[in-house]
Amino acid sequence: MAKPQEDVEIVNPPNLLQVKIGGPISAGDLHLIEKAEDAIKDLRSDFGTWLEEEVQKLEEAAAEVKAQGLKGKAGETLFIRAHDLRGVGSTYEFPIITRLAKSLTKLIDMEEKREQAPRALALAHVNAIRAALSQNIRDTNDAVAAALAEELETQSAAFAEPWKDD
Amino acid sequence: MADQTPDSADFSRLRVLVVDDNAALRGLLRVTLNAFGVAKVTDVDGVERALSQLRQDPYDLVLTDWKMRPRSGFDLLRELRDPRCTPAPGVKVVMLTAYDDGERIGMARAAGANGFLVKPFTAASLSQTLREVITDERNFIQTETFLGPDRRSRARSADRPMTAAR
Repeated sequence: MAKPQEDVEIVNPPNLLQVKIGGPISAGDLHLIEKAEDAIKDLRSDFGTWLEEEVQKLEEAAAEVKAQGLKGKAGETLFIRAHDLRGVGSTYEFPIITRLAKSLTKLIDMEEKREQAPRALALAHVNAIRAALSQNIRDTNDAVAAALAEELETQSAAFAEPWKDD
Repeated sequence: MADQTPDSADFSRLRVLVVDDNAALRGLLRVTLNAFGVAKVTDVDGVERALSQLRQDPYDLVLTDWKMRPRSGFDLLRELRDPRCTPAPGVKVVMLTAYDDGERIGMARAAGANGFLVKPFTAASLSQTLREVITDERNFIQTETFLGPDRRSRARSADRPMTAAR
């Protein structure tokens, strides 16, 4: 038997937000972007501290993984910390940390993957992230960092290949 | 007085609620929005506090991280789009996430998100997202279980489906 259709009412509300904002939002707001970028730059002195806190959380999770393996809660927490770092690395002017964290999340973003992923490869990502922060390597202009990131990405992608379309 | 050129928008009357469990990122978003001229930016660290805040004060826009615990930003979005329990019917919602895959954007759109911002964000990507959300003039549809932007229609003013700003 066919499921009864839900009543649907279409409402066409006025765009009060546009009214509230007033003028058009266009190229004219470029100066606002510049102003915001300046405001973010004013916080630069804090970026290192904030990133250090995030990397410490990642290392705490990695210590649990080292002891217990990637299965279960330990692996899930490592994924969450890597995911957080992926979202903030570039904002805190360490794009290579976003790149490495992205590779790590690709490796362990599903329970099924965490059950099979090589623990050493996951921990190598964590070590690389720590090294980048400690040695102030921010991007792939550093040849060693570039080669390391590429190797980790290659291994992570190769492992994750069977899940690619999931 | 808001920083405004004749051709630019005035964000000074916009009320934004930022929801993210990372304090530093909340601070960055607040600073960026303030630099755009948004006078009222409130930030909270989780879904329950967000719902409580929305019951107390009106907001025009909720900018929420997707991956939070114990309840995710996606849970918040679904609650805001449920006419049986939403504290803020019609509020615009932008999802903030480190993922930019089409499936996730589709999920957010289907659940009633107005915009999508990929982390790491920049002042320019946040500005672009605000522009898209403010000019989103899709009809609202109301059923027994959903009150939000029409998931079947394209954003009229932008004449394109929701994209992920980066």
